[in-house]
Amino acid sequence: MQDLLRTFLRNRKAAIGLTIVLAYVLIALVAPLIAPFDPIARVGRPHQAPSAEHWLGTTRMGRDVFSQLIWGTRTSLMVGIVAGLIVTAIGTFIGITAAYFGGLVDDVLNFFTNVVLVLPQLPLLLVLAAFLGQVGPWAIALIIGLTSWAWGARVTRAQAMSLKTRDFIQAAAMIGEPTWRMILVEMLPNLLSIIGFNFIGSVIFTIITEATLEFLGLGSPLALSWGTMLYNAQTASAIMVGAWWEVLAPCGAIVLIGIGLSLMNFGVDEIANPRMRTLGNVAKALRIEKRLLRQRMQEANQ
Amino acid sequence: MRFLLKRLGFYAVAFLVAATFNFMIPRMLPGNPADIMLANSGGMIAPEAREALMATFGFIDAPLHEQYISYLGSIFTWDFGLSIKFYPMPVTDVLMQALPWTLFLTGAALTISFSVGTLLGILAAWRRGQLTDAIASPTALALQSVPSVVVALCGLYFLSVRNRVFPTSYAFDPKLDPAFSWEFFSSVAYHGFLPVVTLSVVLVGGYLITMRNNMIGQLGEDYLAMAEAKGLSDARVRYAYAARNALLPSVTALALSFGALFGGSLITEVVFNYPGVGNLLYLGIVGRDFPLIQGQLLIMTLAMLLANLAVDLAYVFLDPRLKRA
Repeated sequence: MQDLLRTFLRNRKAAIGLTIVLAYVLIALVAPLIAPFDPIARVGRPHQAPSAEHWLGTTRMGRDVFSQLIWGTRTSLMVGIVAGLIVTAIGTFIGITAAYFGGLVDDVLNFFTNVVLVLPQLPLLLVLAAFLGQVGPWAIALIIGLTSWAWGARVTRAQAMSLKTRDFIQAAAMIGEPTWRMILVEMLPNLLSIIGFNFIGSVIFTIITEATLEFLGLGSPLALSWGTMLYNAQTASAIMVGAWWEVLAPCGAIVLIGIGLSLMNFGVDEIANPRMRTLGNVAKALRIEKRLLRQRMQEANQ
Repeated sequence: MRFLLKRLGFYAVAFLVAATFNFMIPRMLPGNPADIMLANSGGMIAPEAREALMATFGFIDAPLHEQYISYLGSIFTWDFGLSIKFYPMPVTDVLMQALPWTLFLTGAALTISFSVGTLLGILAAWRRGQLTDAIASPTALALQSVPSVVVALCGLYFLSVRNRVFPTSYAFDPKLDPAFSWEFFSSVAYHGFLPVVTLSVVLVGGYLITMRNNMIGQLGEDYLAMAEAKGLSDARVRYAYAARNALLPSVTALALSFGALFGGSLITEVVFNYPGVGNLLYLGIVGRDFPLIQGQLLIMTLAMLLANLAVDLAYVFLDPRLKRA
């Protein structure tokens, strides 16, 4: 486990990604301490441009954008993590069950997964949210979690299928290990990278989708999140009146956490798949070779 | 042939699942849409219309399975009831007016992003570690995690509001009448440019990364060494040998990306006020137009399934082994 962590941190992309994500987590944890203003109080004139007092300006309601952004980090991260956990749990369970038992179980689960994959997800989420009325962040996390597991189930299944044919798994089955042990002790640890990949990917997806749903006005307008900030900016026509800070601030926050998380995922991918890892080394080797060649040419010229 | 028949059967079942889901949503959730709509219409709908409204949703006075059968019947006769927001237009007509715009938007964006992404992915893998790879791959990675809302809003702000390079809404100049003329088509291109580019930018990263990874997977293969040993040109080995094989998983990934395509188009249409079905869904939700919402969901599902079918056909073409299977 420690080894795994060390390999992870030695990967430059993963380390940068982790730093970004940890910074967000820290901001979320200490939000009440570092937010300069009450995020829902009128603390300035409407649509004030960024200044020393209001770093990211104010909204049409005269609320401090920077404070809203900090508090929004809390909601968006929590929703992302909760939905990510649900997605990963369901996807891993279905994927491993299908691969391990095979046969009819696999046929049924795989069919089900494929059906969910070909349905248009965002419109479906919109319709669900529309019938539920304006819903809070937790309900959004739950809806996204329960509807987005199909992709994870599919990749986990594929990975588990190839794992099943490996010698040590065959041997363990031959010895007569019970099913739960086969799954939890023999297979699960070897699927950690795909599960981690799935989890991080799901967190990105959830953060983006939550913001999208809320932007479209399907979230509770009372919630404090990046999505509702976008929604409020949109209803206040912030873009049209030139109050760019109200729109670009939450956009920037979403983009940066997305980049952080996908850098982590790139790291996970490179660790799990050594062929991807050599890329940096190949480039380095090429550069060294070129330099040597140039040196030799110079020596020959002299 | 058997492969395609199997896929067709699968899509039929998938459509039935979506239709069933559509049938169940209003019945599972609290309240019923007719009452919600009556309450929201502010007197626009006469209380006497309640019965008719209930019937629109298949809430007829009958046991559940009969309701379901009559609902399925209405789908296969292409009858989704009347729209509330565009009363008294039938939902089918409202959707059919919007569908071409969405097909134009998604089709153009898909063509651009898939070809650009795949081509750059091939080059990045072929010259991995070099300049193309060093610039394209991290950019694609970053783009992949940028939501379409953000790209669309930034495009709108920087190119339509701040610098008035492109229009902020509509599919063509409202002063023009749709006609087969240069003026009309250029107006459509001018209004569609930013939405298409926005959507392409959102999608291109995923295709690039997928193709690059597939290509890298092919690089060490013997048949490539063989092709090179035969003295074939670099470009021929790259495109006719490596890329052709690497394209197969990329085409699978293409089918999986249709969800993102339609989702992205929905957002783009809303932000740019583009008159496609996505924008219609949004208007329907805001206006509590439930027949429109449900009809839209079915159309969207149908579009997804047809797109997947097209990918299956492409797959058979690219992988001749499937023809014999």
